[in-house]
Parts: sequence; structure tokens; C-alpha cells
Amino acid sequence: MAIAKAERLMNLALCLLGTRRPLSKRELRGSIEAYLEAGTDDSFNRMFERDKDDLRELGLVIETVENLDGDTGYLARRDSNRLPAITLDAEEAAALGLAAKVWQQARLAGAASGALQKLRAAGMPEAEDTYEAHHGALEPRIPVHEAAFEPLMLACRDRRPVAFDYRKANAARPEQRQVEPWTLECWRGHWYLAGWDRDRGAERVFRLSRITGRVRSRAGVFSAPVPDVVTVRETVESWAGETATRSALIKLRSGCGYPLRAKALSSRELGDGWDELEVPYGHGLDAWLVEFGPDAVVLKPADLRADVLDRLRAVAKG
Amino acid sequence: MAANAIDQTRRMLSLVTYLRERPGAHVSDVARAFGITEDELISDLDVLPMCGTSFRGGDLLDIDTDGDRIWWHNPDDVAEPLRLAADEATALLVAARAVATLPGLREGDRQALLRATAKLEAAAGEVAGASSRLSVTFESEGGVFAEVDRAISERRRLWLRYYSPARDELTEREVDPIRLFAVGHTYMEAWCRLSEARRTFRLDRVAEIKLLDAPAAPPELELRDLSEGLVQPSAEDPEVVIEVGPGGRWVAEYYPHDSAVELPDGGLRITLRTPAPASLRRLALRLGGDGRIVSPPELADSARLAAGEALAAYDGHA
Repeated sequence: MAIAKAERLMNLALCLLGTRRPLSKRELRGSIEAYLEAGTDDSFNRMFERDKDDLRELGLVIETVENLDGDTGYLARRDSNRLPAITLDAEEAAALGLAAKVWQQARLAGAASGALQKLRAAGMPEAEDTYEAHHGALEPRIPVHEAAFEPLMLACRDRRPVAFDYRKANAARPEQRQVEPWTLECWRGHWYLAGWDRDRGAERVFRLSRITGRVRSRAGVFSAPVPDVVTVRETVESWAGETATRSALIKLRSGCGYPLRAKALSSRELGDGWDELEVPYGHGLDAWLVEFGPDAVVLKPADLRADVLDRLRAVAKG
Repeated sequence: MAANAIDQTRRMLSLVTYLRERPGAHVSDVARAFGITEDELISDLDVLPMCGTSFRGGDLLDIDTDGDRIWWHNPDDVAEPLRLAADEATALLVAARAVATLPGLREGDRQALLRATAKLEAAAGEVAGASSRLSVTFESEGGVFAEVDRAISERRRLWLRYYSPARDELTEREVDPIRLFAVGHTYMEAWCRLSEARRTFRLDRVAEIKLLDAPAAPPELELRDLSEGLVQPSAEDPEVVIEVGPGGRWVAEYYPHDSAVELPDGGLRITLRTPAPASLRRLALRLGGDGRIVSPPELADSARLAAGEALAAYDGHA
């Protein structure tokens, strides 16, 4: 029966951590049963390279050393792999325990529990379930439904350029974008990517749910400098019409349109069951007002009124 | 749950460190400390005796268990706490920073979280840097949140004026809060005494809130599993079919649906289920020329009618 991968990885980790001198691939193959059973040199070599990458993913610093005979040796030095001293009290441990639960994405959920387990092994005190009992009121969750999330997260981490097909909000067809990915941000439950769009030669924000197909890695390094502060949120807010520079005057039937009233700059009763409101006029206000049907009427400006009328005519036509 | 090999290896490395300090540890205690089931722990303990620095030299971990307690007969110094990997530091730091910004978090908890975050950043060292490439903002429904949180911890009833977008109206109701959770927006799950049913309330739609003196008495309920998404339409709910052009593709991003079939013009034919199709009149109006309701016909008619009425209202204000 083939030896399970976890057992093989564990053995490789213990060998590399346990040695004081670099071990050659030959020595490692002689010490680890799964490698002896690996068959050809080729399949062993491929397996060994993959395993080394996997151990590095989980944080092991593995050094590659050339010895005098020109052989390559490997070791994981204690000093470079030891967790620096960290002392957490019970409250801090409980707070981190709550934070580790928020991920709904397998890779990050696994990484967060892995981090807690390392801290636990290093002496972090155990929560006595009291946190759950009296802090359990709050359950924050970070949703990740977008398939593009994981490859982009890794590309941001490793600063690797990517290419993907992206369908803009109103575009019929996706088009390919070449991007140097900087940061991912989750806002109002949706994920956005900020980065350098190589074809447009400018900073751009992308919504992950509009990426179609696979995220492909591109060779090479970033060509544009990464800014210290990336402003995803401001861009998304302006898409959402929350950076209004003008205002509009509307008539609203009494008792209707609470969200419009909550945003209104001023309002007054007109009598006859109608109120007059001044509301911020940003991107998307026309579509929003149409939702209220006969209960909202735009008084001015004229361009907003025309947009709303266009939309209403389209619906009335059926 | 089938453990992924990387997560299991990471866990076994921490486990070895942890067990070294605790001869004769109880299976139940260790499983709890590591946040895993006893079965998962036992399967780790099955693998560990096959691991070591050399299977031929017999340098294997002599760890065994009788199902109740765990003994390591040849503990060695391989087992030091390991440094955090980039993904581990990122997963925990990003989550901790996001939770720390949650409105309504108790000040003591926030302080504990901030202290833990600072210690973690220091212990993670240079790998902490990658965590700046991911960020999460929870919505801030501050004032309402604090009242709900207090009601839950003091087990008191709440009075709400709550906005229902489907009917565009505010309703007053008394509810017994069960829990708060954040998925993009912040929500309260509660027993609604008006509808005698469990309801989910989005906090940014609460127009007014009051803490009542009456004790909350929600019936014993099994908590909903939120990992499947917030809206879980039932198979018995009526079906709605909407055809949208390229400009209406966003509907598929916002509404959970059964299917979204590509149309030749770059649009989509979306089929979804909802307990109250009439509530989608707003959507039909909003879509304007970017989409139309295919079925049910009553819904299409009501949108057409509402648009006609709205146009008439404009005629009166030329």
C-alpha cells in the first residue's frame, strides 16, 4: 500500500529538522521509506521537489547547501525555524480563537487553525469555553465564494503577474486583462482586487465575481512600483454612488422610501400625501429611484429626470 | 473529514511539540486544545509512530495511546515550536484586524485582540508583511449593534422599527434576539413575536431600536448553518425566470439562483426561487431596458403597471 503523503512529509520534516549537517538527496532517500518505494529516480526527484515546496508552504525554512564534493545537501536549521518567544494571556488567546474561526475559505481556515496549533504547542493558554459562553453573541464570517480568490491571494503574496478574463459590469463579452496584483479587499461581502493593469498602464480595481475562467500566472516580475497605500474602498464606493457631488430634488409619497429618507439632506411635507426631499445624487441614483415606481417622482435635475423616465418607459413597454 | 495532507502534517508537527511537555495527556484534552475531533487525533497518533529521522536506524517516534491517554516513550529535542508560515500569519492577522474593527465589540475584547495582534506581528517577523495584501472590512451598524449585543447578553426583548425593501414599508415588531453574525453585512437572527417565526434582520435596515424590560424567551432552536449561504430558497418556492441583457448580468451576482444560462446577445436567462415573487417587482423596475420578467406573468404585469402609473405621475408634474 502506498504510504500516505502526510507520513512522508512528516518524515522529511523530522529528518531536515533533526540533522546538524546538510543531508544529500541520497541520504534522505535512504532514511525515508516512502522515497525508497518511489520507484525510478525521476519519480523520486519529482516527489522530493514537491514535498520540499509543501513543507515551505507550511513555514519550514529549508536551506540548500553545496558541499565540497559538489553534492547538494538540505537542512532546516533550528534557529531559523524556531518560533520567537510569545506569551499570550487567556483573554488574548480567546480573542485569537474567535478570529481564527471567521474564514470560510478552506486554505485560510486551515492556515488559521495551523497557526493556533503552533501557538498552542508554544504554550498559549487554552480558552476555558467561557469566551464562547459570554462572547458568543457575535459570529463574524468572511465569505469567499469566488474561485479566483485563492490563485489571486497567492499571486499577491508572491508578487506574481497574472492574466485573467474579466467581464465589466455592462459588457457582453469578457476580455483578457494582464494585471500585477497588489491587494485583495473584502467589502460588503464581496472581494475586490487592486493592481496595475499592464495594457491600460494604470491602477485598476476588479471585482472577483466578474473574473471568468482561470487565473493564469505570468512569468517575470512587477514592472510598476507598488504604492504604499492602495485605495480599493474609495473606488468601490464611487461605483456604488456613494461619492455624490450633486444633489437631486424628489417627491416621495408619505410613508414610502425609508432608505431615501435616511439619506436625505432635507425634507418637507407638501401635503396631499407627498413629501419633498433633497437627496445626494451619485452614480446609480436613477436605477434606485425607479425601484420605488409610482411612489417617487424626480423634480430636478433634468438629466436625472430624463434617465428615470427612460427606464420607466422601457419597463412599461414590457 | 478527510484531512488534507498539508494541514495534517502541520498539525502533527505541533502535536509532537505539545505532547513532549505533557506525558500521559488525555486524548479528549489534546483534541480540544487542537480544535479537532478525537477521531482525527487518533488518526494522527496512528501515523506518528511511523515517523522519525530514520526508519532503518529505528529512530522513530515511540508514541502510543490506549485511546484515553497518550505516551511518548522517547521524547527528543526535535520538537521545538515552529515559526509561522506566511499563510498562517496572514490568515490569523487579517482575521484579527477585521474582527477588531467590528462595531459593538466589547472594549475589553478589542483591547485583548489588539494586544494579541501586536504580539503575533512581532513573533511572525518578516512573514507578517504578506498580511497587508489582504484586508476585510465589516459593515458598521454601530448604534444598533450595541443594543442588540446588550439584549443578547442580558437576555432581553427588543422593539424594532424595521424596513422591508420588498414591501417598501416600516413595520414595528418585538423580537427575542438569538445571535448576531456578520457576512458582509451584520445580521441579527431572532424569534419574531409578530410572525411567530425565526427571522433574520439586517442591521442597516433597522430604523429604530429599543431595549425592553421583558425577558427574551425564544423557543429552543437549532442554529442555522450559515456556510451554505444566507438565503436558502426551498424547492417548494415558486420559480421566477428573468432574462437580462449584458447590462443586467449583475442580477446573477446578487441573487442566489438555480441556473443562469448564457444568451446569444451576451445576456443571461436566470431561474431562481423565492417565497414571494411579488417582492421582485423592485428588481423588474430597476432593470429597466436591461432585463424583463419571463415568468410568472403576474409579476411581469405588476412591474408594467407600476411603471405606467409612475409615468402618469410624471405627466402631472411636467
